[in-house]
Amino acid sequence: MSTAQISTPPKLQLDGLMLRYAVLVGLIAAASIGFGIANENFYSLTNLGILLRSISVLFLVSMGMTFVMLTGGIDLSVGSNVAFSGGVGVVALTTTGSATAGFVAALLAGMAIGWVNGFFIGRLRLSAFMVTLATFALARGLALVIYGADSINVDNGAFLWLGGTSWGNLPVVIPFVAMVFIALSVVLYRTVFGREVYATGSNFNTAFVLGRRPERTLIWVYILTGFLAGLSAIITVGRVSSGQPWTGLYLEFDAITAVILGGTALAGGRGRLLGTILGVLLYGIIINGLVLTGTNPFLQSLIKGLILLGVVLLDTFTQKGRAT
Amino acid sequence: MNYLSKLSVGAIAAGALLGTTALADEGTLDIVFINDGHVAPYHVAWLSGFEDAIEAYDEAFSDLTVTGRWLSAEGSLEKMIQQAEVTINEKPDVMFVNAINVDAFEPLVAKAQAEGITWIAVHSPMESADYSFTLGDVVNGRNQGMAMCALSGGEPYKVGVMLGQAGNPSGEARREGILEGIATCDNIEVVAEQPADWDTVKAQSITENWLTQFPDLDAISGVTDGYMYPAIAVATNSGRDDLHFYGYDGDIPIIQQMEGGNVKADILLSGTREGWNFVQMAYRIHKGEELEKVYDFFTPLVLTEENHQTALANGFPEDVEVYYVDQALEVAEKGFLEFGPDSVM
Repeated sequence: MSTAQISTPPKLQLDGLMLRYAVLVGLIAAASIGFGIANENFYSLTNLGILLRSISVLFLVSMGMTFVMLTGGIDLSVGSNVAFSGGVGVVALTTTGSATAGFVAALLAGMAIGWVNGFFIGRLRLSAFMVTLATFALARGLALVIYGADSINVDNGAFLWLGGTSWGNLPVVIPFVAMVFIALSVVLYRTVFGREVYATGSNFNTAFVLGRRPERTLIWVYILTGFLAGLSAIITVGRVSSGQPWTGLYLEFDAITAVILGGTALAGGRGRLLGTILGVLLYGIIINGLVLTGTNPFLQSLIKGLILLGVVLLDTFTQKGRAT
Repeated sequence: MNYLSKLSVGAIAAGALLGTTALADEGTLDIVFINDGHVAPYHVAWLSGFEDAIEAYDEAFSDLTVTGRWLSAEGSLEKMIQQAEVTINEKPDVMFVNAINVDAFEPLVAKAQAEGITWIAVHSPMESADYSFTLGDVVNGRNQGMAMCALSGGEPYKVGVMLGQAGNPSGEARREGILEGIATCDNIEVVAEQPADWDTVKAQSITENWLTQFPDLDAISGVTDGYMYPAIAVATNSGRDDLHFYGYDGDIPIIQQMEGGNVKADILLSGTREGWNFVQMAYRIHKGEELEKVYDFFTPLVLTEENHQTALANGFPEDVEVYYVDQALEVAEKGFLEFGPDSVM
């Protein structure tokens, strides 16, 4: 009985999520129409390409963050990990001259930070907040050491292709991110691992008693997040034709914002990747539109904060309403 | 010069003017300033000067509509790149970009130029940019360091130097200059160097640590006046009324603490002046004026008259341009004096 309850999100919660998605779609539509009226350039293909490219990294990192938050955890190190894994990848690339070596090194570096997080959180049962706060500083420090605090120019076409190439107005990275989304959706909804992610977030102890090895699931979830950070690093390097020690700054906060907007519960066990995608899209549209409309930057932060607060409040009221 | 020669010179001048401005809409000048952050009093003054100047130029020239806006990347490279991309798509006439790291913006400079936008790299020069608006950071830093030498009195003197964010070219250049200046005398010992990441809160912690670690510290030097506010407050609260401060930025509240205070020297950038200078520079480019590709912002050293005389007596170079406090405060408060519409009429 317990297995069935954990592995399939209950109907009541799914309805709550559907309401959240409806709200998000409504907000996306309203924001798009509003910004489109305020500035006709908003709907230009060039701007849509810019918008999607600018949130591609946030898409990847937020999808990883969704897995983490579904387990009831949090990963504050992803932004620093993007800088660190990018540094390792760029150094491997410039040392060997091989794009493949650069790709592999970046991905392995990202996964290594993920493994450290997962080991301390899953095996040693330490607080995810504290562990990833430590690796947040650790990875940034390593990035600064690797780079010597300076940027490294990259001119390898293969390494830059994913982040820097566009087919017309469509950045190559967009279909790539879509493929990653499909792959992660399969992993989350169609595999045993995906069910264990939900089980771990719903109740770690129950999952343990049922023999699901939630500690191992946690390690793999953080490794997956590290892998996505490595991918993000490759895209970022391609976008700016250089490795940058300060890249990814505050990325974790944007990702957490998008995941919460998307309806994933902070306590874990509830949420879907689709919500995260909608959350990232809403976030990206707001940022893009506020820049296009020349909104005072002070107000931009205010507006972002108000939207997040509004959605979270809405979520709280709808959940309370359904519980009574 | 005969009539024919005058006519030829006039024709060449007119041709040059038409040639350089043919791409721009003669009746409008749209300026965008993308800054790396908005965290210090300097930034507030900077953007305020920029906004005031836009308004003043728009009012002063009836045949030209001057518009402008500023964006803050809040320290995030990704945000800044997105803002630059969106701005390029809007096709303003001139973009001032204070890049977090110039290498990351090379691809965007080419895009902007392809759209006919004039890209002006702010503080950290870029070879590919149309212009670089620089501060002469090494020279300024050296002047600060030499002032410290001249005012330290030849006795053993211990100083802590607060740096910018690691890898930031402007911060690195300032550090290089300060250390070069200090190296011109042999009585000053740099007991600590630490990055405070342009963050006033970090500057506060560093000051507290230094005062504990080096009870005989004589001075704190900073690459920005943003560090001086917490450093002065911490020193005052700790009863260290003898600690000297050497600033950089020309923030008005810091300059005001020079007469009879412990702020011994400052570098007069002044955010207000810089904001006004941006708009003046954009206007001159719009009018087809040929400017230096690397445009050096005029940034004199600020000393009290008394300290300047002391410094000169101690061998401080006479050719270093020095503003006294009153003069510095006047131009810092009124950016239009040097860079207003009157300066280009």
